[in-house]
Amino acid sequence: MLLLSALGLSAQDFSGGVKGTVVNRNGRQPIEKAKLTLMRGAEEIAVTESAEDGTFMIPDLDNGMYTLVITAPDFLENQVQVTVNDGYVKNMFNLSMTAVQQVTELDDDSFAAFDLDDSGYNDNPTILFGSNDVFNNIAGYNFSSVRFRARGYSSESQDVYLAGVKMNDAVTGYSPFSLWSGLNEAMRSKETVNGAEISDFGFGGYNGLTNIFGNASSVRKGLRGSLLTNSSLYRLRVMASYSTGLMDNGWAFAANVSARLGGNDWIDGVYYRSFAYYLAADKVFNSTHKLSFVFFATPGERGAQNASTQEVYDLVKDNMYNSNWGYQNGKVRNARVRKTNEPVTFLKYDFTPSDAFEASATVLYRFGKNGYTALDWYDAQDPRPDYYRNLPSYFLDFNPDMNRHNDFKYGWANEVWTHAKDYPSITHINWDRFYNVNRMQPGGRSKYIQEERHVDQKDLNLAASFKWRASDVVTVTGGLDGRINRTENYKIVADLLGGEYYIDIDNFAEREFSSQPWKLQNDLDYFIANGEARKLKVGDKYGYDYTAQIRNFGGWINGKFVFGNFSANFGAKLGYESFWRQGLVRKGLFPGNPADDEMAQKWAEYYVVPSEEYSYWRSKLARFFTYAGKLGLNYVIGGKQRVYANVAYFNDAPKFNQVFLSPRTRNTMMKDLNTVKTFTSDVDWQYSGGGINVRATAYYTTIKDQSKVMSAFDDLQNAFSNFAISGIDQMNTGLELGFKVPTYLVENLSLQGVLAAGYYIYTSTPRMTQTVDNSAATVMEDVLIPYWASSYDVNGIKHHHFIPSTPHLATSLGLSYNYNYWFIDADVEYFGRSYLDMNPLYRTDYATAGPDNQVTMDEIAYMTTQERFDPAWLVNFSVGKSWYIQRKYQLGFSLNAKNILNNRNVKTGGYEQTRMVDNTVSKERYYRFDPKYFYMPGFNYMLNIYFRF
Amino acid sequence: MKKFFIAFSIALVAFSSCKSLKEEWDPVFTFGGNTPAEQKLYSEADLKMLGFPGTFTSIHDLKALYKNGPYEINSNIWIKGQVISSDVSGNLYREIYIQDETGGIDVKLGKSSLYSDYKLGQWLYINCTSLCLGAYNGMPQLGVEPDNTSTNEYETSYIDVQAIIDQHVFKGHYADPPAPLVVSENDIKAAISAGFTGELWGKLVTVPGLLYKNEIFALVYPNPNMDHKSANPENRVFLSDKGTWGIDSWAMSKNLYITYVEAGLFDSAEVGSGATRYGPITGRPVDYLPKDSKALQSFGSYAYKTYKEIMVTFATANYVSHYFRIGKTDVQVRTSGYAKFADETLDSRITKDGAACDITGILTVYDGSAQFTLVDEPSVSVVVK
Repeated sequence: MLLLSALGLSAQDFSGGVKGTVVNRNGRQPIEKAKLTLMRGAEEIAVTESAEDGTFMIPDLDNGMYTLVITAPDFLENQVQVTVNDGYVKNMFNLSMTAVQQVTELDDDSFAAFDLDDSGYNDNPTILFGSNDVFNNIAGYNFSSVRFRARGYSSESQDVYLAGVKMNDAVTGYSPFSLWSGLNEAMRSKETVNGAEISDFGFGGYNGLTNIFGNASSVRKGLRGSLLTNSSLYRLRVMASYSTGLMDNGWAFAANVSARLGGNDWIDGVYYRSFAYYLAADKVFNSTHKLSFVFFATPGERGAQNASTQEVYDLVKDNMYNSNWGYQNGKVRNARVRKTNEPVTFLKYDFTPSDAFEASATVLYRFGKNGYTALDWYDAQDPRPDYYRNLPSYFLDFNPDMNRHNDFKYGWANEVWTHAKDYPSITHINWDRFYNVNRMQPGGRSKYIQEERHVDQKDLNLAASFKWRASDVVTVTGGLDGRINRTENYKIVADLLGGEYYIDIDNFAEREFSSQPWKLQNDLDYFIANGEARKLKVGDKYGYDYTAQIRNFGGWINGKFVFGNFSANFGAKLGYESFWRQGLVRKGLFPGNPADDEMAQKWAEYYVVPSEEYSYWRSKLARFFTYAGKLGLNYVIGGKQRVYANVAYFNDAPKFNQVFLSPRTRNTMMKDLNTVKTFTSDVDWQYSGGGINVRATAYYTTIKDQSKVMSAFDDLQNAFSNFAISGIDQMNTGLELGFKVPTYLVENLSLQGVLAAGYYIYTSTPRMTQTVDNSAATVMEDVLIPYWASSYDVNGIKHHHFIPSTPHLATSLGLSYNYNYWFIDADVEYFGRSYLDMNPLYRTDYATAGPDNQVTMDEIAYMTTQERFDPAWLVNFSVGKSWYIQRKYQLGFSLNAKNILNNRNVKTGGYEQTRMVDNTVSKERYYRFDPKYFYMPGFNYMLNIYFRF
Repeated sequence: MKKFFIAFSIALVAFSSCKSLKEEWDPVFTFGGNTPAEQKLYSEADLKMLGFPGTFTSIHDLKALYKNGPYEINSNIWIKGQVISSDVSGNLYREIYIQDETGGIDVKLGKSSLYSDYKLGQWLYINCTSLCLGAYNGMPQLGVEPDNTSTNEYETSYIDVQAIIDQHVFKGHYADPPAPLVVSENDIKAAISAGFTGELWGKLVTVPGLLYKNEIFALVYPNPNMDHKSANPENRVFLSDKGTWGIDSWAMSKNLYITYVEAGLFDSAEVGSGATRYGPITGRPVDYLPKDSKALQSFGSYAYKTYKEIMVTFATANYVSHYFRIGKTDVQVRTSGYAKFADETLDSRITKDGAACDITGILTVYDGSAQFTLVDEPSVSVVVK
């Protein structure tokens, strides 16, 4: 792959040869005395060393194909192919070397433009992708399609930095790749470390760290353009970038723009209308001072996919059925559209007073809008086409206890769903009906609207780090960081769908408190001031409005000690994290107490009863002191092998969204807030030499005291419920193996593969508190979830429950051919032992006992068993080629064909519904609602055509 | 350079037009929405295209087809009628009433918020072929074949599959709602005598001069999630035979029900099966707390709690029937606890001062007794003299 990146060539006017500069990939510093051996087949043609500034020159070469082998102490061996023709000297520009201890970027130009980070399923790649680690190279690219997660860790444990600033979402912890999706050229240069290793830019966690440089001079020089089409995401991507590189006057400018447009072959209703732009400037004042400024954003929208039950997929004979869309006067319209425009800007200062010391400081600001539309309705029929009451199973179930048997209705429902294309107004959203219903309403009050839920961040970050090479033995790195985040959560009326207005009241509250109009109000203050609920127009906020206020501060330091081939790292981190909820509207259900006598008097006029719980104003402060420690040991054997080990302990704060019981309605937090304790360790062996790259890792991790809050409708309470779960422990252990070795049978043909075998289980019995949105009362308080970590089958045999949504066994074996600017890769993959995400309610005694309160083994086995997905085989193929035209332009293509066997039965995730069937004949037990699944697309391709000047 | 751009332009066009060009790009190029399609309102001429024979059967004649059990309509029978009910106030659920000159009928359209789709006064045309005519305690209903389940008590099932609705129920033109028919005691008696085909059943009527009897009836289930049929007498509490039980509201929302229970209004209510009147009396909510728990075993972990505690824990909204009288004929006004006006109190002039009132609503029959369902708010439907 490096070959293709290194070919920003220019023609010269003398005899054939090759020249370039050998640099450290991290920091682009020149490497002196690197040994360069030029091979033609097995014949050694020339040997030279790089100069003090890293440059080299091998002249007087005949036309032909050569292999250039570069070696240097403490660096991984590198090989590139080069073609000399027409007597020109091929300028390889920068040939970067990877430090033995540092795994860095892969030049992924041949296929990285395939936007794995924007799959439409979520915004996060499943593992850190774009490193030069042989395992990550293969797993990162090929395994994302099945939502493989490295070592079974959650995506929020994956640290993503931009210019030294940790970008993980302040509220949820999720890695924010969507902020720069479509800016592949601008964000290409990055540094990545695995597992618990420490980066120069930040302390990191236990699931690796990627730091994207993002500044102007990190963008490759020249004009580049590409056209891309792929059949599983969007039809067309047009992208262009230009970079001046660092000019003699010390300035560097770069720009990158793109548009991603259209639908795809697999999921109807999913589309992209996304744009991206990036502008950057660097100013190098002198060898000591450098300033970088960057501004970018990716405004646009894309239609989303929805999960459905297997019943629906089977009926329509399509596992990619998407219930989110329907026709509006014959045109496709998606109800769930993500609309984002979140610009990011940063100013970075680099200070390099000497070769021994370097430091940088970045101030970064993220702002803008992040909206996600959905249907909302008031006192109207549920508009979702795959609502369970619309499906054949609602009318016929051969279990007599389910009390469903009406052949006539079953026949009709079955007819509709098995001929879905003939009944689009029933099997998809019926937009025209919404308009007609709304227009019928007296006064124009809409019954159906499209809302837009916003999570708008104002995120100010400051990060500073330094690296001090105190001696040949000791290198110290460290840093400070701070974050002020204000995330406003609210929703607006996006479309009244033909009506004139919508009313700002709580539908769920109205079911219970219709005689107490003050209790129905989403904005009680408005109601009291005006004597009626607010009439909403397009763009008006309604429903809920609150901010998550987050303040984080911390510092870290790491010492690296090198004794010959042995080195060790000791690192520590301290932090303070705090957050609170700030309610911006007073909700009728939880008004709190009146602020003064005047308010109390007004409340009395409307019979408003004060409450202990507040929807308005500021919650209690949640404060956490966090700390972490890391130890890394590293031993280099003979320049080609490395054995290393890491051990680390983290005491992390929970996230905002894991603490508040029902942040949309009130300030109430979980009672016992605990930090999350993580212990992790790994032992690794790496070999790199003679074209062989191998990495093997064994790891063991425990994560304790996790918490989370789920919200869903509970049939038994007939209300919207919140389930706060605490005390979730897990253990993740396993092996990773990645290798790429020459076949020795055919020149330039390598055998490559990975094996990721993990055992990720829950190890605790968590506790759960259930509340409902309509009331401060607790439905279930601190009850055990006894079947969370394991369940029992009907024979009483215990079965563990596993960390869901990632295969515990993932393997790939393939061949890679690379010759004369061609690359051809083919591989076969196997994924096994993936599990469905569990719903805690089904694992309680309450659910297993049923209405009769009698627990049977059959009920336990039925209600608590965790579903295991079927294993999957996949075959992928990639080919690419580039050409130089007039020694000035480069034109190339890459074609990736995935899932060639067209396997359309690969579940990539899903979830259990929280609902239970309770209206049975026997009144002895509950039944689950069917789970919902996501599937992987069948055969799909990506074709990228690019040019460079 | 020129060749590059030509090549790229060709590639761009090729990439953009791979599949289903029209639908795939609809949302990409739709800015600000597009004009929705108008709903179809059928004329009688339109219906002929759908198999309408040209003549409507009257609702009375349709009812006359009913014998003593579910009647599946196998001939090409169409009826038409004007919509006279609305579920906007929440007092009706998953049903709509239509009437013609000859009578009214309860059409069991099994969808909620039907008022959003069917306007008062609007004409509906119903293709009755393959639908089912039945009775619920004497009240004519049009639905589909009954559920074949062990617990089914109904002669018809809801028409809740949208495709069945689309194939059988056709919206016609809008019109003013028909004026309520003013009826006398004799008219009501005549309807009761006529039984199933009584003209008044399912029609919008006004009964003038009703007097309040200071009596209510309600049957509440302490735990509605459990079996609450007569086979489980523990789970049935009767509010009857003792005046109004202090209930002065049209019905009981969940919240009001809890208030009533906690206030002790139902402490002396009877618990029983209802098999013989209320069946064997097994206890009273206020003090029913047997230590051996035998009789309350079906309440599971709540077996040691009092009825009052159980009733509060599993509280839901509950209907109430208020008894009125015209002459010597009782007319119940039954209101759902989910009605938006459930907690509204009856006008004290009616309940305390003995004032007469005119009540307008859908008149139905229940086991030979006339029963009212208010369609609109009591302030509109109940006029105090």
